[in-house]
Amino acid sequence: MAGYLVGLRLALLRNGLRRSNWAQKVALALGAMAGLPLAFGGFLLLALVPRAEPRAGLLLVEATFLLLFCGWGLFPLLSFAGDASLDPSRLALLPLRPGELVAGLSLAACVGVAPLCTLVALAGAVVGFATLGPGVVLMVAAVLVQFALCIVGSRALLCALSRQLRSRRARDLVIVLVSVTAVGFNLVLQVGARLAQRLERADLEALRPAARALGWLPPGLAARALVDAGQGRLAAATAELAGAALAVVALGWWWWRSLERVLTTAEPAARKRGGQPAGLFPRPLRRLLPADQRGAVAAKELRYLARHPRLRVAWVMSCLLGLGLVVFVAVTDGLQHPWMVLASLAMTFLASQNSLNQFGFDGAAYWTQVAAGADPRGDLTGRNLASLLTGMVTTTVLALVLAAVTGGWLFVPVTLCLGLGVLALSLGVADVVSVRFAYPLPEDASNLWAVQGTGQGCLVGVVQMVAFGVQSLLLAPLAALVVAGLVAWPPALVLVCPLAIVYGGWLWRVGLGLGAAWLEAHQPELLAALSPRRAA
Amino acid sequence: MRGLRKAFGSKLAVGGIDLDIPHGCFFGLVGPNGAGKTTTLGMVTGLLRPDAGLVLIDGIEVWRDPVAAKRRIGVLPEDLRLFDRLTGSELLTYNGLLRGMPAAVVEARAAELLELLGLAEAAGTLVVDYSHGMRKKIALAAALLHAPRVLFLDEPFEAIDPVSARTIRRLLERYTAGGATVVFSSHVMELVERLCDRVGIMHLGQLIAEGPTDQVRAGRSLEDAFVELVGAGHAGAEELGWLGTWSA
Repeated sequence: MAGYLVGLRLALLRNGLRRSNWAQKVALALGAMAGLPLAFGGFLLLALVPRAEPRAGLLLVEATFLLLFCGWGLFPLLSFAGDASLDPSRLALLPLRPGELVAGLSLAACVGVAPLCTLVALAGAVVGFATLGPGVVLMVAAVLVQFALCIVGSRALLCALSRQLRSRRARDLVIVLVSVTAVGFNLVLQVGARLAQRLERADLEALRPAARALGWLPPGLAARALVDAGQGRLAAATAELAGAALAVVALGWWWWRSLERVLTTAEPAARKRGGQPAGLFPRPLRRLLPADQRGAVAAKELRYLARHPRLRVAWVMSCLLGLGLVVFVAVTDGLQHPWMVLASLAMTFLASQNSLNQFGFDGAAYWTQVAAGADPRGDLTGRNLASLLTGMVTTTVLALVLAAVTGGWLFVPVTLCLGLGVLALSLGVADVVSVRFAYPLPEDASNLWAVQGTGQGCLVGVVQMVAFGVQSLLLAPLAALVVAGLVAWPPALVLVCPLAIVYGGWLWRVGLGLGAAWLEAHQPELLAALSPRRAA
Repeated sequence: MRGLRKAFGSKLAVGGIDLDIPHGCFFGLVGPNGAGKTTTLGMVTGLLRPDAGLVLIDGIEVWRDPVAAKRRIGVLPEDLRLFDRLTGSELLTYNGLLRGMPAAVVEARAAELLELLGLAEAAGTLVVDYSHGMRKKIALAAALLHAPRVLFLDEPFEAIDPVSARTIRRLLERYTAGGATVVFSSHVMELVERLCDRVGIMHLGQLIAEGPTDQVRAGRSLEDAFVELVGAGHAGAEELGWLGTWSA
């Protein structure tokens, strides 16, 4: 049975690769290439540091073992939506007992790039502490027990949470959390690297109590067993190893029980949190948006912004970038000029780039507009209205915060007028690009690893770069006036306010007209572009 | 429709169809998988541009004046991609406003349709959390919202529970009795036989039989007539003979 499950895992990996387009294959190859340096980096770290810095050795091995254990717990949870081999309920109809499944799935989980990289990295610890003698056997055993802890712990957690992970809400949440934590992780890495540079021997001693506490966790026990075996304390190493092995057995038992529950009990009915329907238009905007096609499309776009996980991520990222800008201006000496308020326009411009594929999130659901004979001009206007509203809210908040930091309150009205102009101008270009070069976004909103613009990544990239270039070119006269106002002739800053609105508005109307005229005659073609399988 | 034709690359999906559907008719389009039913309905409803041919609805040429034609039709496509991050109620409001209906009318009709189709309790639930049957029903409600003269339904009864199917059947019967036209595709022959005044059988992109249901079935059941016309083989007892030998 174990052989079949290993074969199944291999077949899924192979077929996943076969079904991928070239962009996904490149991404997979890059992922594998990134894994190997990490594996060898880990190997070298564990092999060399303990010999050069013996006092840091135990701390390093404990931290690495714990990180690996946590990583193995976390990453499969994030890949659950995209990896069919992780969901135990898919095996529910097969006549298999939980015991057979635990053994088979454990072996199957050892197949792949991640297990290989983990083993390579762990092997470094054996080299780092190895001394000739019976201790080597215990050290190898410690590495294998740590590996088993990762595999069994990861699958036990996954099995216990599998029902929750299958729910749409959990998958939506995962996608936002991953994106936000990825940014957070990057920040922690950078801060960590700086701290490590300043770390001195005394600081290392201060960390020792923490290490002692972590040493009682199962990965810590395996790490201590490895170090003790290397230093010849065989009895202590054996006891610690037994403790870690016991933890593997306990996790295996938990996995067994969870499998039994998942395979033999019915899925509880999903809780429907319906309640009273609130209406299409968000309450604060009910009076602001027209009760017609434009208003309906704008309201739908705003609802999507709040409910679609990928749009939520884009929104959260914009907020984080804005926050980063404020922090950068606040902490960098010499940047607290009043005119730094204008820097919020950079965020406005960047946020407007999300509008270059305004129909992407509609995907094949765009048939609704086609079947309704929706007026393309009204449709585009509604989408623009939503982008304008969110863009202006972001610009206003950012400008006010920057003004509070720099004292440049006088620049707030200038920024708002320019923001309106920049958004209008960008949307004019985006209206043409959105209808002529539309591409569908991944159908599975909750699968983090689904690729955007499937099969046309290169074309999408080129089109977006050209659009960015055109928008920048069209913005140049406004930018020139602002620079002139700041450097030579201050009245230019007053002049640029109405000019930005008129100029941006005019370009928006031109872009909207061009986009709507094309769409008027080509709605079925846009639908085909957004749902390639329909035309296949 | 006259000479309606569509090819995808070298594959001919619909090979020049001529068909007249009278007003007030309940028309069933049947055919095996890949016969070209969905492609035909796509071209008739303005979702898929034909390579050649003419489609007239109520005297309006669909591909010359699509907006006027689409005002008269309601569509339930087979591929049920909906704006599923809206709630059921929001989706109906969206559809109504998209068609230029007054907000108050949309609200009143949406409430009635949700009640009739058993979706009132789920009106505030996101469509992404709906079952397949519920998605069919909310899409049907959206297709009916503007009271179209002609309704095109692709597999409307698939995954629908018997109680809702009965409600929908009665609704559609009442609808055609009032002079509206319903065109629907289905694999369920008994249903087509029971509901439809006229029926068309498609096979390999061609309309191989069309006319009043009694005339097409010619004294047999519609299923027998269908199987005979498309020339399907019979799964004999000699194949899969092992099915009678139990594994445990």
